[in-house]
Amino acid sequence: MANPQVELHIANFGIVTLELDAEKAPLSTANFLSYVNKGHYNNTVFHRVIPGFMVQGGGFEPGMNQKPADAPINNEANNGLKNELYTVAMARTSDPHSASAQFFINVANNGFLNHTAPSAQGWGYAVFGKVVAGSDIVKKIEGVATGRKGFHDDVPKEDVVIEKAVAI
Amino acid sequence: MAGAPCPVPMPETTPDRFATLRAPAHWQAVDFISDLHLQAAEPATLALWQHYLQQPPAQRADALFILGDLFEVWIGDDVLAPQAQDTTPSYWRTCAQLLREHSRHTPVYFMHGNRDFLLGASALGACGMQGLFDPTVLAFQGERWLLSHGDALCLADTDYQQFRAVVRSADWQRDFLAKPLSEREAIARGLREQSEARKRGSAHDPSLWADVDAGSAREWLQAAGSQTLIHGHTHRPDQHDLGQGLRRVVLSDWDATALPPRAEVLRLSAQDGLQRLPLC
Repeated sequence: MANPQVELHIANFGIVTLELDAEKAPLSTANFLSYVNKGHYNNTVFHRVIPGFMVQGGGFEPGMNQKPADAPINNEANNGLKNELYTVAMARTSDPHSASAQFFINVANNGFLNHTAPSAQGWGYAVFGKVVAGSDIVKKIEGVATGRKGFHDDVPKEDVVIEKAVAI
Repeated sequence: MAGAPCPVPMPETTPDRFATLRAPAHWQAVDFISDLHLQAAEPATLALWQHYLQQPPAQRADALFILGDLFEVWIGDDVLAPQAQDTTPSYWRTCAQLLREHSRHTPVYFMHGNRDFLLGASALGACGMQGLFDPTVLAFQGERWLLSHGDALCLADTDYQQFRAVVRSADWQRDFLAKPLSEREAIARGLREQSEARKRGSAHDPSLWADVDAGSAREWLQAAGSQTLIHGHTHRPDQHDLGQGLRRVVLSDWDATALPPRAEVLRLSAQDGLQRLPLC
């Protein structure tokens, strides 16, 4: 069966297509699709953009209002998928098993985010898909000007808004 | 900040920009070394290092951090294989044995340098070492210390940065490691001769080699939430004020045959902060 794909329609930027790895990351894939299908990601922003590292989004509306999310999921970082350029992984708190809606796209090979041990320090970040179209769009997002907003660093000065996320 | 109430759920603020190692609370002191450039042709430096590793327990730190270029060159973990015929590999096995013994009582962390970047997982295991990404933030006694070998920040040396990008790529490393040991030895010898010739030709004096770019060092420190960068690579032990309360502390290289000989450990302790401990 073909892997599910999701299009992120990003206002003024274009469309980024993600392919999700349902086989190696079943929990994260189902979790992401559930947020997509109920419209959670519509009108959310990429709120944390760090060039040479990653771009993170899926948790805030424009104006940095955090959207309520569902229960956190188990961390699947031990699935063998690596945090390589243009892969998509789940963001989280310092608790390894705390990912809910926020995700990030690696814009570099971030080997230090991979799973090394089943410990708080070594769990790493669960990759569950990759960009299959629109990496040039991701590159543009990586290049936007950022600054501090409230308690958050690296926030784009002009909102980078996901108008809608659709499963295709 | 410790114990401050946190009434709202923590937002998803990770991944962090840099790998972070949280020191266990019981650690009182850690040692940093780099640029020993261990090689069979220089037994005196190995002897100094052995002397350091075999200090009495009361003088030991709680952990040892090797920030790159422990070895003059590393051409593949198979140099540790017992079946290798060359005399050189037995030197590497001696080094591995010393490290393994030390790691039985003191955790040893290893970061790649520009000479030993091919040291892989099986050699780490054989030496009892844990690998560190470059850079890594060490959270120790309530402060964050940014650790790096330092070569990635020597941006003015554009030839080297190009070379680095090539040899650090997975493709180059796979191709190189697939070559027979003898061929890898020949390539490594060639690269070292080129590098030596460059140093002799353009700038024999280490003070003229490219140094760490201050702007980039500041940027790293700010992104890491750290005030102090500790690095090696440049062979210019010193401390530099980077402004805005930031600084970089440079480790010494080791050379037992230099006049005077150089060998030094940088010790960070809860009690005394940073101290340079000369070994000769």
